[in-house]
Amino acid sequence: MRIIKASLQQVKKDWVIYAMLFPGLLYFVVFHVIPLIGMKLAFQDYRIIGDNVWVGLKHFKILFSSPAFMDVLQNTIIISTMKIVFFFPIPIILSLLINEVRSGRYRKYVQSVVYLPHFLSWVVIAGIWISLLNPTDGGINIIRNFFQLPSLDFMTSKEHIRWVLVFSEMWRSAGWDSIIYLAAIMKISPTLYEAAKIDGASSLQQMRYITLPAMMTTVVTVFILNLGFFMNAGFDQVFNMMNASVISVVDILDTYVYRIGIVNGQYSYATAASLFKGFIGVVLILGTHFISKRFTGKGVW
Amino acid sequence: MKNFDTTKWILYPFLFLLTLAVLIPILNLLALSLSDPLKVHELNGLSIFPAGFSLINYKVLLSNPLVTKSIFNTFLITTVGTLLNLLLTSMMAYILAKTTFVGKRLVVIFLIVIMVFEPGLIPEYLLVKDLGLLNTYASVILYKAINIYYLFILMRFFQEVPDSILEAARIDGAGHFRIYTKIMLPLSKPGLATMGLFYGVYHWNEYFRATIYITDPAKWPLQVVLRQFVVQRDNTAILGAQNLLSYEQVASLDFTSLQAGTIIIAMIPLLILYPLILKFYAKGALEGGVKD
Repeated sequence: MRIIKASLQQVKKDWVIYAMLFPGLLYFVVFHVIPLIGMKLAFQDYRIIGDNVWVGLKHFKILFSSPAFMDVLQNTIIISTMKIVFFFPIPIILSLLINEVRSGRYRKYVQSVVYLPHFLSWVVIAGIWISLLNPTDGGINIIRNFFQLPSLDFMTSKEHIRWVLVFSEMWRSAGWDSIIYLAAIMKISPTLYEAAKIDGASSLQQMRYITLPAMMTTVVTVFILNLGFFMNAGFDQVFNMMNASVISVVDILDTYVYRIGIVNGQYSYATAASLFKGFIGVVLILGTHFISKRFTGKGVW
Repeated sequence: MKNFDTTKWILYPFLFLLTLAVLIPILNLLALSLSDPLKVHELNGLSIFPAGFSLINYKVLLSNPLVTKSIFNTFLITTVGTLLNLLLTSMMAYILAKTTFVGKRLVVIFLIVIMVFEPGLIPEYLLVKDLGLLNTYASVILYKAINIYYLFILMRFFQEVPDSILEAARIDGAGHFRIYTKIMLPLSKPGLATMGLFYGVYHWNEYFRATIYITDPAKWPLQVVLRQFVVQRDNTAILGAQNLLSYEQVASLDFTSLQAGTIIIAMIPLLILYPLILKFYAKGALEGGVKD
């Protein structure tokens, strides 16, 4: 009782603190907690007039028996996996290369250029890539023609569009993502390199035996974090690069939810799909958080 | 000496090629947009110099009411949005970084839970609809009034302000609000500038929420117009009202060059602020480990 009374007195004394906290908390309650409660829609039928009706797992049953949903799930997994396998190592390699550049001005030039695409919106990037991959006079096809290869319409080709996603992701993020690895390299003590040089180690040997092992913690942390966001195959990117010819191979969970929910107005069904995605996402994030804590001492938060 | 040569003859040219891979597509669009419409066919996808010179594309775009209105809308949303972001984020960051109070642990746990559990698109859309915010600028500004990652980064900036200064102010009788406005904010200008740029870039690039919440083209931000014109190749709205041009001029317009001009317009403010953005962003990104 006394503790409660003391805390109440404290709360009363600190009312300014609570008043200053209030606008922020109000925002979080309205725009985060209420939609969180709104997810109950996945277990209801949405009614425009009157109360929604509880229908249990109906929408989930439809979802899991729907071939369209299974395709979308498969696309999400394929695209995410391709990005992890083919994109993940690139920023690491890039940071090693940039690190070898000793000239201050050249290094600065390279860094400011490769970071740039990170700040462009996916709408702008989609515009740039659509023009770059243009079948008649896009830059890539001009290079292909130079090597006697026929022009390809990448954006409408089911075989190539997923690679377009991987490469445009590289174009946008490889530079920016290398920052975190460069920071890890900066922390390595220069005395290690000096000692290695005296022992006659070449720069490749220095990279192999000093830089890479020292970066490993960061690499593992970033890898684990990426796994946590595995179900986000890149909404903005796919949304802007998708078209009718390739929708069957690039439609991912998030774009599917957008289409059936916002475009077709099937709110309950779409909420069920995004709840499923959210559930997997939370399991992955919590899982990776604890794995990460265990192996690297650093968690997701 | 051997290492020096490898770096110089293989690595430097290779990295230079990488930078070209970023720059050429952008310079190509710039060249397209600045070319004379009658000579634009001379360009190919790798050209970086305009053929002839003409500002007709920019004249057409900047005399188009849809485009000018959307630029205005973007500036409005970016300015008001960023100011609101900074106000709410800094106030909360000050309380969480510099004061102790009953229930603080609870607030932090609440924020982490919210960060992990995302409600998804539909409940958020229905909320905005229920609040009557559809088709208002507020829908785009309010739904992301505080970014929790940015909040945590700003808290780290605030923690660097020495406690002794705040303590002295407290002894002189200043309350929390006074300390926040008169000491905390002025002393954390670099931190606030960093967050301002984070939020600013974010608002400038926002298109998705505007796409779903705003159906009235007069309220569209630039990115939505860009998306419609460039990504969806829908030119009706853009080419609809060209009453300022003669028939010959309209006839000579090149669709691709106009698209290129729109992309460039959407990039200009970012490019102007780029040195600043680079300086602040890199620091903030490392401190917060932001991945967005």
